[in-house]
Amino acid sequence: MSSNHVFTLAAHEYRAAFRSRILGLLLAILIAVTVGSVYIASVAHRSQVADYATYRTAALASGLQRIAPSPLAPMSLLRGAFEYIQIVGSVIAITLGFLSVSRERASRTLPLLRSRPVTTGQLATGTLVGAVALLATLVAATAVSGVVCIGVIGNDWVSPGELLQLSLAYLLSVVYLTVFYALGVFASSKAKAATNGLLIALCIWLVIVLVIPQIGDTLDSDNQVPGGLFKALGLNRADETTVLSHFSLFETLRTRIEYVSVAQHYQRFVFAMADVKERYRPFGLGGLLARVWTDLSWVLFWPIPLIAASRRVLRNEPSITQGASS
Amino acid sequence: MIGTVAVHQIRALRRQRILAELVGSFVGITVLAGVLGWASHRTIIGVYEESMRLLATRNLAAPPNPFLLKPKLSQLSNVVIYITLIGALVALLLGHLTVAEDDSTGIGRIIFSRAIRRGQYTLGKIVASGGVLAGSMAASFVVSVIALWIVNSSVPATRDLGRLGLFFGLSWLYLMVFTMVGMVTLLATGRRSFGLLSAMGVWLIVTFAIPQFTSGLRPSQSLNPIVDPVSTSQAFFRLTRRARPLSVAEQYKQLSAQILHTGAPESSSAAIGRLTPILVALGLLVVITFAQVARHDFSRSDSGE
Repeated sequence: MSSNHVFTLAAHEYRAAFRSRILGLLLAILIAVTVGSVYIASVAHRSQVADYATYRTAALASGLQRIAPSPLAPMSLLRGAFEYIQIVGSVIAITLGFLSVSRERASRTLPLLRSRPVTTGQLATGTLVGAVALLATLVAATAVSGVVCIGVIGNDWVSPGELLQLSLAYLLSVVYLTVFYALGVFASSKAKAATNGLLIALCIWLVIVLVIPQIGDTLDSDNQVPGGLFKALGLNRADETTVLSHFSLFETLRTRIEYVSVAQHYQRFVFAMADVKERYRPFGLGGLLARVWTDLSWVLFWPIPLIAASRRVLRNEPSITQGASS
Repeated sequence: MIGTVAVHQIRALRRQRILAELVGSFVGITVLAGVLGWASHRTIIGVYEESMRLLATRNLAAPPNPFLLKPKLSQLSNVVIYITLIGALVALLLGHLTVAEDDSTGIGRIIFSRAIRRGQYTLGKIVASGGVLAGSMAASFVVSVIALWIVNSSVPATRDLGRLGLFFGLSWLYLMVFTMVGMVTLLATGRRSFGLLSAMGVWLIVTFAIPQFTSGLRPSQSLNPIVDPVSTSQAFFRLTRRARPLSVAEQYKQLSAQILHTGAPESSSAAIGRLTPILVALGLLVVITFAQVARHDFSRSDSGE
């Protein structure tokens, strides 16, 4: 019976969110920019695939026994798509959380629901499940459109093994978006007027998603010159490590600042899974997970306190709300 | 009457402590940019010296220090990014709040029971927003001068001060575009939450989506003040780069790079060409705001949710 209640509440949350015009607008923006970014990357990739096919045909015709494997990484074309989930997707998730609270306040459904045999826990779980289902739909839509674009436009379909890696990246995307959904719910519920809560949540989003990762990038000495400082000085990767070992305190501080940002951990994990960074490409799934498990743990950790805080606020919400005032 | 509306608006923002928060945000981002510029400058000098020692042990010739070629104002290049990220959002909020309070508290209804024309009211609101932003830019200018003084251990030259003033003037124009977006979206949608999120949608499109389509800049590249030139050899970009003059964020960044001497030099006609879309966008939004205020029903207070 209780699971029925949760399911009913989740289905209501899902349907109600889909009816929102503003959510529809933001979703349309996300899908359009995702497809656009993968299209742009796929067009360039297609010519590289054709070049490799020409080389392979010529090598086979000349009787070569050992043919160099393709250096191309089709999954890396999804880099822009993941960046859009990181930036635009998180705004959508906050909006979803805000709309959930403001809709309830405007229609004053909480007293009505509490008059039914529904516990606060079921109410919170149902709403959360509905929102996560919606976020999963959103992520699935961008994932399918991205993978199909790579195959159809880029002429390079991802292998089953790569698909597994991508599935993990997209699953974590849902968890990442849940963090911001919970933030939206918490901030909007805590504020007297939900709009003020939305503003606070957006300020936190700005710091976590845009400012902190930007600080890390800006303080990266290699980023100070177009093309890279070490390249300009004629130094290779080993030399770079040797030089930077003299600045360990600065480098530690720089990376610790980035550590605060869940967005940065999310980006590292999905970039590793999607072969965006060359240094991760030689590894299989096990090797990749061993290298990015801390990033995975941080992203998995953040929803726990935020969801707990949101449930607590909901439990303390008065049954008769004072209405929505700005 | 225009002055009365403007002064009332600024007083209202001060009473709600929003004025201090707005000015504080701009000063804060300038301080942050100054600190980052100082920290990266110090470290990079150290990295260069350490690299030279390493090359000397191998008897290799030392390449010129790439940072000696960088102009002094480039240490504030992060301000350009913060203006497009944080500043634009703060400006959206300013525009939104300028209209929202009158709309949701019923003050608008009282105002229009007096002998005031809608055009005067709109102009007063725009003057108030412009004044707040101008004050914020002036404060940021002073903070920038102090930051440059500390980092370079010398007072900035008159020419650099002029360039810095020009940059903050341009930033004011750019931010006014977003202030007007904040007003227009609220007046067009009639609901606070819908208006605010629509304005954010516009900001996301202008800051991230359009630069990707016209120049192939990924969202993370839009966060870095130093960007590698993107190849536009693809047929797609040969087509879309024609729309680049309409990309207001890119034009602002390019023009800022010209002013701060961090970009390749351009002719003054090219610089004026980059300024034009910002001015046109601002002009159009001002006209739309006047038209929307003229037909807006202030007697219907919005609850804000």
